[in-house]
Amino acid sequence: MNVNDKTLQALAAAAKFREMRQEIISSNIANSEVPGYKSKRLDFEEALSRALDVDGELTMKMEDQKHFNVGNGGFNNLQPETYEDPNGIVSENGNTVDVQEEMALQAENKIMYDAIVQMMNKKLGLMKYVITSER
Amino acid sequence: MDLLKSMRISSSGLRANLKRTEAINSNIANAQTTRTAEGGPYRRKEVVFGSEPARDTFSEVLEGEIDAQAQEVHATEVVSVNEAPILKYDPTHPDANKEGYVAMPNINVMKEMADLISAQRAYEANIKTLGVTKGMAMKALEIGR
Repeated sequence: MNVNDKTLQALAAAAKFREMRQEIISSNIANSEVPGYKSKRLDFEEALSRALDVDGELTMKMEDQKHFNVGNGGFNNLQPETYEDPNGIVSENGNTVDVQEEMALQAENKIMYDAIVQMMNKKLGLMKYVITSER
Repeated sequence: MDLLKSMRISSSGLRANLKRTEAINSNIANAQTTRTAEGGPYRRKEVVFGSEPARDTFSEVLEGEIDAQAQEVHATEVVSVNEAPILKYDPTHPDANKEGYVAMPNINVMKEMADLISAQRAYEANIKTLGVTKGMAMKALEIGR
């Protein structure tokens, strides 16, 4: 059993991005009354799936440790993308934050974060089971 | 840490909206005030909000682009709105001018109440966000339990 496998790394990266997204949503809600503030969005799903590379189409095969690890950048230098929400409806003071939408996004984010933590615990539980089920 | 910063952003929203509530309360309380320290009737106060990147510590200043996007809100200033006072005919009033008109503050209590509700809603949204962030931080402590 490989202890240092992709699962925990991917989960940790996802959790980190969910925290960042929470930060962006907090910022949107706090600034929902500021004239001219534009709603922000954070996109990490694409970068994460590229790093995860489930179908193995994006990386080059390595048969030797000296080979260049092309495409498989790992989870450490992932960069999520932040941008101003292009679909925001501009109100009369130039603000594009829709508090209801932010609340919905926040609820989704929280659920997914909890799911990530649960998955981590399952994975760690599995390892713990392997470690403790000797004899 | 990101979650702590989220909480700080939410609390900045709470503080700013509290400031706004204060100004609205002052406006409603002084809707009939004809004498002030600066002379003349009370002038309506308005709080101006501004956003700035959430950077408190030196290490946060050094961080990258994502942190420029997460912004705190601040009640940058409180301005006295320069609106013409409403002249009310009341010759018996001690502050009436020669023609018998009193300069009353130009305050629409209905509008102030509406603003108060909107400030309250914004405050609640920030409280809720703070709660969710706290929930996430508490959940993170459960990793490996």
